[in-house]
Amino acid sequence: MAGAAVRVEHLTKVFPDGTRALDDVSFEVRPGDFLVIIGLSGSGKSTLMRCINRLIEPTSGKIFLDDVEVTALRPKELRALRRQIGMIFQQFNLVKRSSVLTNVLSGRLGYVPPGWAMTNYFPRDLRRRAMENLTRVGIPEKAHNRADALSGGQQQRVGIARALMQEPRLILADEPVASLDPATSHSVLRHVEDLNRNDGITVLCSLHFLSLARRYGTRIIALKGGRVVFTGLPADIDEARFKAIYGEEAVEVEIA
Amino acid sequence: MAQETAQPAPVAPPAPPAIPRPRGRPWAIVLWLAALVVIYVYGWQITNINVGDLITKAYLVKPLVRDLLRPDVLTWAPRLQSVEVPFSFTAPAPAPPPAQPVAPAPASGPRLTLSTATARPGDPLIVRGEGFAPNRPGTIIWRDQSGSSAKAAEFGTDGAGRFEISLTVPDMIGEQHTLFAQVTLEGRTLRPSNTLNLVFFRIIETIFLALMGTTMGVFFAVPLSFLGAKNLMARSAAAKVVYYVTRTILNILRSIEPLIMAVVFAVWVGIGPFAGVLALGLHSIASLGKLYSEQIESIETGPIEAITATGASALQVIRYAVVPQIVPPFIAFTIYRWDINVRASTIIGFVGGGGVGFLLNQYINLFQWQAAATAVWGITLVVAVMDYFSAAVRERVI
Repeated sequence: MAGAAVRVEHLTKVFPDGTRALDDVSFEVRPGDFLVIIGLSGSGKSTLMRCINRLIEPTSGKIFLDDVEVTALRPKELRALRRQIGMIFQQFNLVKRSSVLTNVLSGRLGYVPPGWAMTNYFPRDLRRRAMENLTRVGIPEKAHNRADALSGGQQQRVGIARALMQEPRLILADEPVASLDPATSHSVLRHVEDLNRNDGITVLCSLHFLSLARRYGTRIIALKGGRVVFTGLPADIDEARFKAIYGEEAVEVEIA
Repeated sequence: MAQETAQPAPVAPPAPPAIPRPRGRPWAIVLWLAALVVIYVYGWQITNINVGDLITKAYLVKPLVRDLLRPDVLTWAPRLQSVEVPFSFTAPAPAPPPAQPVAPAPASGPRLTLSTATARPGDPLIVRGEGFAPNRPGTIIWRDQSGSSAKAAEFGTDGAGRFEISLTVPDMIGEQHTLFAQVTLEGRTLRPSNTLNLVFFRIIETIFLALMGTTMGVFFAVPLSFLGAKNLMARSAAAKVVYYVTRTILNILRSIEPLIMAVVFAVWVGIGPFAGVLALGLHSIASLGKLYSEQIESIETGPIEAITATGASALQVIRYAVVPQIVPPFIAFTIYRWDINVRASTIIGFVGGGGVGFLLNQYINLFQWQAAATAVWGITLVVAVMDYFSAAVRERVI
């Protein structure tokens, strides 16, 4: 299945307390892109991600997934659309007391009849696919462990397997490696890269480290104070642009 | 503190900056220690602490402790040969008996024969038996309709195992009665004592009393806990009012001792286990309600967000992201509460809440220390088992 194109037009989000998290944000993502979003904490990266699958309702502006206007969908249509958008989180967001297998299978909830899910019933072919996805991220032997018994990197890989169950055309990765050590960060990002390169899934990924952004991103946008301050190729971010994004006192830190 | 930022004048020698002290002045610590001494001296006096009494008065407690260490558990019971026949004051017994009713016993075994199966109190009655053990003493026991028994006569069997005795029909309650002939055989058997039987059934009653009280608590605490969870009820002013009202009710209920509640309910519905169920139930609502709602408040929103993002419906989100977070702790709290309620119901029994505590209270009031010891050891055993069981379950589900 081909990756999805995303188009964001004049997106603005003002929270009830008056915080203007996103201010007239517009950009485009081509199918198969690995778009990295960089910016300081609080620059609006997470809000932007959550507006795309409407975990957060935008205040104004439009979002298109291919030709579907996400911002105009009714709840039922929105649920159907969310199935195409996998999401990976900084804190992994697994259900800690459930098994790894249940966590992976829960990625399929948007597809199965509601009655099945109530009794935790998943047919054989779904269970097999869950195991295949766990094998793909390298931890099939953990299927019956509790999710919180896994290390951070392993939990994030479960998160990727869960997103894979959706057969997504777009993956939103909200700082997927911010809670992980450098070596594990690369291992997790390589899995995401694999989905992007080999399955053609479009990826929107927010990252803290410019070195990671340069290494994995095909394109980069930078947010500052809720506005887009840079759009372009990873190689285009020089010292001057870096200071414009992160402030005058910032010094770039390399991650191995 | 402020001096640190002050600029010293260039001509004067620089004043040494004030050095900050750690909190807690030395003289304040001495004062605190003195206050503690005064508090403990007063406490020692007001509670009549006299360590010497522990040794000089030990002889008073010695017999009690000795009895407590010898619980009444087993008794030697005589072996009995027993046969029963029905008897009526007015009409014949439900099944029309023959003129000479014969006990429903095998032809070879002991049999009992009455001169008549129907007579009025004061009438003469001849009881004959055969097939009993030879040359042994026996008794005729009369049980009336209310179930209470009285010894009606004593006899001895002859060398052939027969006896014949005449007695006067006693004046007893009801119309339908039963006569027993019991012959004491040689030797005796070791059996659980009456006390042990009573304690056993009262402990079963206690466990179920605690179970029913806990169930009552769960039944009301689950809905209340959602109303008393801050994260759910912070949405509107009306919801906040519900939250504060719920929390206040739970706090007040929790601060009333179950013992007091048991006294009230024993007056209300009468002394017995039901009063205990109500008292423990009401207290359990309060304590479980608080524990449950704290659990709901500590729920992680991340998994909810993640499951929502997969396109799951609201019901599926609850099933996969909320239920796994609250149900195992709810189960753990509930089992723990049951465990606590078993302990509490012992005390509740003292004030009329039924269960083994009621029995223990009677034994203590009658100075039957060995019987009391049976109850105490029984309670100890059950509490220890419950404690182990609830800990094991908690470890598994959390």
